[in-house]
This record gives sequence, structure tokens and C-alpha cells, in this order.
Amino acid sequence: MASSPDATASNGSTPETPESGSAAGGQDRRGRVRLRRAAVMAIPATAVAAGLMIATAQGALGVQFAISGMPFTVTATELNGTGFEQFGGLDNMAEDSPNAGDTGGQVLIVTSAIKNATLDHLCQSVDLGGTNLLITAGSGSDKVQATDLTTDSTELSGNASFNNIEIGNDASTLTKAGVQGPKGVFSQQADTVRIANLRQTNYATTAGVFKLPGLKLRFSDQGC
Amino acid sequence: MSAGARTDDSRDLRDAFRRWRANRPFWGGLLLTLGGAEILLTEKASLKVVLHIGMQGLAGYLLPTTMLLCGLLILFNPAQRLFYSLLGILLSLGTWVTSNLGGFFVGLLLGAVGSCLAFGWLPDQKPRRRLLRREHA
Repeated sequence: MASSPDATASNGSTPETPESGSAAGGQDRRGRVRLRRAAVMAIPATAVAAGLMIATAQGALGVQFAISGMPFTVTATELNGTGFEQFGGLDNMAEDSPNAGDTGGQVLIVTSAIKNATLDHLCQSVDLGGTNLLITAGSGSDKVQATDLTTDSTELSGNASFNNIEIGNDASTLTKAGVQGPKGVFSQQADTVRIANLRQTNYATTAGVFKLPGLKLRFSDQGC
Repeated sequence: MSAGARTDDSRDLRDAFRRWRANRPFWGGLLLTLGGAEILLTEKASLKVVLHIGMQGLAGYLLPTTMLLCGLLILFNPAQRLFYSLLGILLSLGTWVTSNLGGFFVGLLLGAVGSCLAFGWLPDQKPRRRLLRREHA
């Protein structure tokens, strides 16, 4: 393979093919996509992609979410979890974010971390202005399962009950969910948590692995 | 590409770009790069939060970043396009699991199509017939 060192767009020094650029010689020979060659990769790739989606929809494969930026709503009829932590914090928006408004780009949030969580009738919606991106899962007999679930919420409501709760710890000394907050910040933790009719407004959610049986992703006029 | 096509300078630039494009799987590399970028844009969790999670959270950023690099390498080092496109397709499919369902499917699709185009690209092909006719006219 006669490849020249990396060419850049500005100076236009390209790896010359034998006949390229000969103005008098008629046509220069260009590189081109050969359909059959592309199909060699495209067909197995399509099969694998279809397999991934089916596996996800059936809940056999965990999917990792790491979205945020805009506030979004998460609801569930019931949340059961083991290893629960909660502490306050501050999230920073991107420089000159259009969502900043008069907040100076900072949002006061409550970080909740749950080591292992099971959610029934999970619903997540993001307001995109005019329409909502709606994700529902776990409506059937299989429930949504999540590990290392961390949510930065501005609002959280529901009927909660805790086992072995410790309130007033320093956020840097938390142990139940394996996440530590900043030093000198109020926090609480519990062995188990159960929240019915959960409703959260989240500013940033990061989760470990989500298992989403009965996944449905669609646009909708109404949020959760 | 600069749009002003009146001076000889910009004509030369256009020609140079055309020749540059003809010698590499341009659309393949571009689509793969865009796919990686799109997936990265859908991830806005602060790095602090990602570090809380550890390896699993990091993979969500690692895969699209490598996708983006593969796309750029296909453009600027087309001799190795087979390896980059194979890596690109595996990463694109992997982002379904690690990164917001492949950037809500859009980035996955861009990356997969780009990788396939780059894989199917061959240098030094005969000109298309359409091109031939135009040159003879």
C-alpha cells in the first residue's frame, strides 16, 4: 500500500493514484464504494443491531443511560431498593448554557444513590418544547432493574419508608451505596428504601446498568 | 467548503478538495465521525457524576470518542480503512448498550452506515457512466 503521510484538507497533498489529476488524460480515477463489498459488513451488522434491540426489549440486556442537561421527569408506581444514600450538591451547566437563565449556570440538587433498585411502571419524559420524548418500561410482569442508580433531582415526591436509616451523616462518610459526597455536607443513608408513587424532576441522572423489559420509546404530546 | 466560487483561488481549492475526497472513503469517514459526535452530544452528565459510577460510566464516553477518532482516521489515513471500519462498526453497535441507546439510535445508525461505506470503498475505480458522458459532451 503506497500511502503518503496524513494529508490535510488545507494543502490538498493527497496520496497520488497513478492516473489521478491528469487533465489531458480524460477522466481521473476516483475511489468509490462497491455495493457488494459494503454489504459484506452491512448485512451482519444489521443482524447484530436487530439482535441487540430485541434483547433489550425483552429485558435480557442491560442498557446504560447517561443523559441529562435538560430537566426531565421520572415516575414509577413503586420503587424498591437496597443501599440508599442521599446528599445535597451543586451541578454546573455548560458555559453560556441557554438553560442557565438567572441561575448563573448552577443548580442546587439532591443526589440520591441506590445500589440495587427495582422499579414498577417506569416512565421517563423530556420536554423538548412542543413534544416530549417518552420512555416507558416495566409495565408487564417483569420490572425494571437498575444497579448503581444515581439521580440529581430538584424535586422528589412519593410515599417513602426506610429501614435502618441514619440521618445527619457527613456526606463523605457514606457507605451504603458506595458513593461519597463532598465533605461537610448533610446526608442520610438507609439499608432499604421503598417509595410508592415516585415522581422525580431530575437535572442529571447517571445509572449503572438498566434492565428495561417492555421498552417503549416514542414522542408524545404529554409527559409522564 | 468555502462557498465563494468566483475567484480562481476558490476554484483551485474546490478542485483540490475534490481530488482529496476522491482518494478516501469520504462519506464513510464523515458519517462515522458525525455518529460519534452525536452520541457524545447526547451525554451531558458531568464528569464528576460519571466518575462516581466508575468503569461502566466511562465506557459510555469511551466508545463514542473512539468512534469519532476512527472516523477521522478513515479520512486522514485511508490506507488503514479496513481496520478502522471494522473497529467503527463494533463500537457503533456497542454504543447501544453503553451510551443512551446509541445516542437515541441516531448516532448508531450514522456510525454503522459510515463504517459500511468505508469498508466497501475501493480506490482507483473506473469513473461512473454519468461522469463519462459529461466529459465527452
